[in-house]
Amino acid sequence: MHILLAEDDPSVSIVIQISLEKIGGHTVELVSDGAQAVNLATRRAFDLIILDGMMPLKSGLQAAAEIRSAGIVTTPIIFLSAKNDEKDVQAFLNLGTGFIPKPFEPTEICARIDAILNDANKGAG
Amino acid sequence: MTIRGQLNLLTAVVIGGSGFAGYQAYETRREIEAYDRSMNDSLETRSVLLLLEDLPYHDDTFRRLQVERDRLQEADRRRAFGNAVTTYATKKRPELRRSIRRALKVEADHYNRNRGKRSEIEARFEKLMMLSSGILGLGLFLVVLTIHARIFRAINRLSRRMLDFLVDRYSFQFSQPDETELGDLQRTFNSLAQKVINTTDELKRLDQAKSEFLSIASHELRTPMTSIKGSLSLLATGVVGQLDVGSLRLIKIAEGETDRLIRLINDLLDLAKIESGGLPLNLDWVQWDEFCGKTLEGLAGLAMRAEVRLELVSIPSIEVSIDRDRMQQVLTNLVSNAIKFSPKGSAVRVSISRAKTGDLVVSVQDQGPGIASEDQQLIFEKFRQGATAANPLVKGTGLGLAIAKALVAEHGGSIGVESAIGKGSSFWFTLPKWRESELAKVA
Repeated sequence: MHILLAEDDPSVSIVIQISLEKIGGHTVELVSDGAQAVNLATRRAFDLIILDGMMPLKSGLQAAAEIRSAGIVTTPIIFLSAKNDEKDVQAFLNLGTGFIPKPFEPTEICARIDAILNDANKGAG
Repeated sequence: MTIRGQLNLLTAVVIGGSGFAGYQAYETRREIEAYDRSMNDSLETRSVLLLLEDLPYHDDTFRRLQVERDRLQEADRRRAFGNAVTTYATKKRPELRRSIRRALKVEADHYNRNRGKRSEIEARFEKLMMLSSGILGLGLFLVVLTIHARIFRAINRLSRRMLDFLVDRYSFQFSQPDETELGDLQRTFNSLAQKVINTTDELKRLDQAKSEFLSIASHELRTPMTSIKGSLSLLATGVVGQLDVGSLRLIKIAEGETDRLIRLINDLLDLAKIESGGLPLNLDWVQWDEFCGKTLEGLAGLAMRAEVRLELVSIPSIEVSIDRDRMQQVLTNLVSNAIKFSPKGSAVRVSISRAKTGDLVVSVQDQGPGIASEDQQLIFEKFRQGATAANPLVKGTGLGLAIAKALVAEHGGSIGVESAIGKGSSFWFTLPKWRESELAKVA
């Protein structure tokens, strides 16, 4: 899959990138804030967009809302967040396809993504 | 003007007014009595007096009669005596009859005049009496009216405002408290209410700050943990290159400790949330036996590795209103602790009984080393752990029992332990009777 990853923490983003590329065999494009994520997502086609919840310039939720309103409605969006209060999670699930709480097991991230996408497909079908 | 001042003035006016009128009436009464006294010397007696003065003193009979008259006190007897004297005098001195008649006429006129004056005074007396009681009555009425208007009504207004304040309608401000005692009370109440509001605002602000702190702390603490943990597990899986045995071992240690740190952070944040009341219970009707079974299933792996048997006994089929996840956290904590401290081949027994009060008592019993009585309270505090675990499968954070205690308390129950060194431990917690479904009890 061609994945857009928006994560402001360079360490976390490298860990996720390695996991996605080495374990899942995906290709990853990395950005470090919400504005860049919106910019890139509207210019290029991706199979999946992964957004961190808290980023500079635009939060994950803001970025997702802008991406959706820019007409990109079918690309799944998965949020990553260390804030896992019920209302945060609800906001993520309302706007995106799924939510992965931090900290997560990077070796499991591909499996979790697959599970979320499968669920979403089942729901759609 | 103060209410006390007004009442005092009113009372003074009433007492003064009615007292003055009363005194006037008393004086008038005295005047009437004086008239009565003077009129008691009835006209007959007066005429006798006149007559006697006219009679010659040498006459022994008259002298005797004069002495006799002085001894007589009552008007009617004097009158009878006068008649006797008159008869006697007219027999002896018929020429005196005319002068007696004249004297009688003068006295009659005098009497009539006096009588007219007396009834005038009497009328004045009655008027004064009426005035006095009128002032008293009116005064009393005004006092009651004042108390009613200025005290009771103001108190009612005050209590209404207080009630408003109680139900959070902050219209507590009395716009213009008057200069009375109740005005003072209103001003005091205003200050009190203001203080309460200030304190509440301050508490809200602190609570807000605490929530923000928790939110930031969870993000700031979890983000680096994500990359540390991630890097370590990626290294351990070997996807970025194979490692020699020594490096792998070190990485495994780092990974294990990172896991422990993550658990600690999660526990701390949980505890902080529970303690600040920021973790409302998500109540649901839960089938108790099924709930216990599922919780123990989740711990089967841990028990197997520790070679400890899990036993579930006398679990009734009841329905309870609890937060499933939170209660599971409590039971999991108690059972995993019991497993950790159990010797190989022993059993951990989960049972349920009923206290005298009707509360449900859930017990988790192990055959471990037991807990010294002086440690039994301590272990429910933060970062306090008893003896070292027999099976150090999972290193504890020292917060598990503190969290369990807080969660049980949130459910309205209590938690405790019965134990003795060498005799194993029995951790228990209660669920109040009212959490149990009435329907299930009937069935």
